[in-house]
Amino acid sequence: MPSNTIVERVAADLRKNPPFCTLDALLLEDLASSITVSYHDEGEVIFSKGDALKASAFIVMKGAVRLFDTIDGEEVLVDMCDEGDIFGVRAIVGGTNYLLFAQVAEESLIYDIPVEKIKSLIAADNGVSNFFAGEFAKSLQEMERTLSSAFSQRHQRFSQQSYSSFLEHETLEVKPVTSVITCSADITIREAAGIMAESNIGSILVASPEGYPLGIITDTDLRKKVVALPGAVNERPVNEIMSSPVYTITGGKTVADMVMLMVKTKLRHFCITEDGTPRSPILGIISEHDIITSEGNNPAVIMKEIMSAEGVEQLKTERDKAETLLGVYLGQNVAVHFITSIMTEINDAIIVRSIRFALDAMRLEGLKRPSAAFCWLSLGSEGRREQVLRTDQDNAIIYADPLPEEAESCHQFYLDLGRRVTGMLESAGFVRCPAEVMASNPKWCQPISEWRRYFHQWIATPEPKAVMHSTIFFDFRPVEGDASLAGELKQGIFELMEKGRGFLEFFAKNALQNPPPLGFFRNFLVEKSRDHANKFDIKSRAMMPLADAARVLAYELKIPDFLGTVERFGKIAVLDPTLKDLALEAAAAYDFLIRLRAENGLEHSSSGRYIKPESLNKLDRQMLRNVFSTIGHIQQTLNLRFQLDYIRD
Amino acid sequence: MTDLLLRQFAQLRCRRGVLPEAVCRYVAGIGSREGASTSLQKARFVVFDTETTGFDVQNDRVISIGAVALEGSAITIADSFEVLVRQHGVGEKESVSVHGLLKKDIASGVSEREAVSSFLDYIGNSVLIAQHASFDIAMLNRLLWEMFRIRLFNGVVDTASLAKRLEKGPYHNLAHQAGEYRLDQLCQRYGIRLHDRHTSAGDAYLTAQLLQRLLAKGQKAGITTVGSLLMQ
Repeated sequence: MPSNTIVERVAADLRKNPPFCTLDALLLEDLASSITVSYHDEGEVIFSKGDALKASAFIVMKGAVRLFDTIDGEEVLVDMCDEGDIFGVRAIVGGTNYLLFAQVAEESLIYDIPVEKIKSLIAADNGVSNFFAGEFAKSLQEMERTLSSAFSQRHQRFSQQSYSSFLEHETLEVKPVTSVITCSADITIREAAGIMAESNIGSILVASPEGYPLGIITDTDLRKKVVALPGAVNERPVNEIMSSPVYTITGGKTVADMVMLMVKTKLRHFCITEDGTPRSPILGIISEHDIITSEGNNPAVIMKEIMSAEGVEQLKTERDKAETLLGVYLGQNVAVHFITSIMTEINDAIIVRSIRFALDAMRLEGLKRPSAAFCWLSLGSEGRREQVLRTDQDNAIIYADPLPEEAESCHQFYLDLGRRVTGMLESAGFVRCPAEVMASNPKWCQPISEWRRYFHQWIATPEPKAVMHSTIFFDFRPVEGDASLAGELKQGIFELMEKGRGFLEFFAKNALQNPPPLGFFRNFLVEKSRDHANKFDIKSRAMMPLADAARVLAYELKIPDFLGTVERFGKIAVLDPTLKDLALEAAAAYDFLIRLRAENGLEHSSSGRYIKPESLNKLDRQMLRNVFSTIGHIQQTLNLRFQLDYIRD
Repeated sequence: MTDLLLRQFAQLRCRRGVLPEAVCRYVAGIGSREGASTSLQKARFVVFDTETTGFDVQNDRVISIGAVALEGSAITIADSFEVLVRQHGVGEKESVSVHGLLKKDIASGVSEREAVSSFLDYIGNSVLIAQHASFDIAMLNRLLWEMFRIRLFNGVVDTASLAKRLEKGPYHNLAHQAGEYRLDQLCQRYGIRLHDRHTSAGDAYLTAQLLQRLLAKGQKAGITTVGSLLMQ
């Protein structure tokens, strides 16, 4: 019988890291008692490339181990493992020999885990099997597929030019829970907690003998008011810790009402009574969870307010509300697709409303609207529907070719429109583009023939630098006005690319500018070839390479729709079966990155672009490492597909 | 030579069936102890610690023994040992609270005889390692003498002395700053996280981690065989 004290110590160390943190206590102890603990000095080689696989995998408990390959006699760093990282897993997944070298970089304490033990855990525990099968990405993809089909249905509704479909949910009623479990005010906290545990509910209403709501006890109350307090609080009556009074409402509330109420009161539970006051019998309860998960939930109220806004100030207020809601969504793990689509709809609505404000004002001022139709274009990430947080404005105006005698007045009119709208957007909190890529810039407020000339220039005589600067224009999307102008422009671009095939190669080459990092080591990024950095630019190092790759492939495959990166990869997977797995992996990766950036941005009230590695948990780090390897694969694929090794600068 | 005589005497009594089987296995096994030239990578070490009611070797009692084995300089968790010794009338004394052992734990332990016999079975002919080993060895030897008229015949290494030898050289004057070679101090110096202090198994595990570092350091100083480690 091994020593309990020592086994428990080892188990406690293992429990700190995935995948063991979720492991059942008995399995964990069994695993702990099978471990051997080894100490290694700096420079020691644990295994070499070509060595026969050992009977153990390894987990670094202290210190650091570098994994590297040798190519033509040169060492190429593949990964740095620090505390909690597992290496040598090839012994688990199969094969005969190691493909890398593992060398101790700093004196290390390493737990050797028998391969047989891990294999039996993989069979016994889902968490462990997901972890080792590298199922992270895959299970995410599964989720992704179901989500994206749900999304595309939703999206079909959204993409109809009117907002009526969006608003129709406002009347959707939130169904309250009517089988409410209550308790009387004089039972003990222990009893109340017992009822909650038994009925598997997160909150319980305290009711008077007449069935009137007196207060509510939630999991949070139990955590904060009971567990955190000293003394025998358990035996005290529930009325000492309940939150009182309960917020009461009448039945029949819509999703929109409830979202508003939740944002306004910052409460998470609402009690429905007969007449809506605390002096009448309880009929039901609605929790935050019910609101968030209720069918058709969307911030319809915000949309409605935007569409009926009287002035620019209100646009800012509504956009601020949307940001609050975004926080709620992220906290609830709502699908990123849903979030970005909602935020895009809200941003679009603000743009549409601003344009109408401007057009109305111009009409009142007696300015004559030209007969040539226009279309407002969003560019870059906004064009890809990926703006979750408010980032820079990137927009442009395209208008139908006017008669020669009207050319000047037409240009002046739309330029005036562009200036007014960008100004309004600025006061709604959308920062001006530092490079002046906005509809207020005469260069980017042009008739379609001129836009075609721009694209012709970019495509016919591509220069690496010009390609880099013009990528945001290739992500244009019509937001308001005559969308057929945008469609016409896109067809024109396909024709131009057909003629100058070399352009796609330049385009692809641009997507390879930024190789991904390898992973993280402590609070540093591990790079193949540059100094290790202690902050991570998630935009340029992970999102842009993927967005660039999706754009190139979308144009190569002539996808006519105005899509975002995730949807582009989804479409690419359908159109080119050879790319299917990789494209789906990339879509999942991009989705993860959007969420990470949004969370980071909300937390630090910034664009979320720079992430400090120490703020990431181990799971996010593992996910990012997978994302980096997906980016690497995508770049390799582009390299082969466009034979980029033959093009030199 | 007294060791040899004691062993022969014990073996004689084993043949007469006077001594328990575990003790006889131990005494017989000691004869096949590996030689001084055995590589440290091949030897089995048992790192152990005892908790006692006090520091009087003659009158205090052992209340627990914890140990873990190293093979090829790796700690094998499965090959660890922990036993609580039932002692009547223990619980008032001060050191009991230090060890974190409650009266009822001690009451639930096994008899001294059972504890020591299973420990002998566990250690076999391995090299014994302990922090300030002389005290723990003396405690166990007193018990073994009282019960079986034998003592521990294994090679013994004291981690405090080994650390001193490696840090200051083999002929260093043993006078040193008070506390510099206490387990806490050594663990801190060698970057070992302190956990489960003052339980015998917890201290044994810490001492085992310390031994790993000392062996790695010793290897660079040419200590590669059991003989050179025991300074034979």
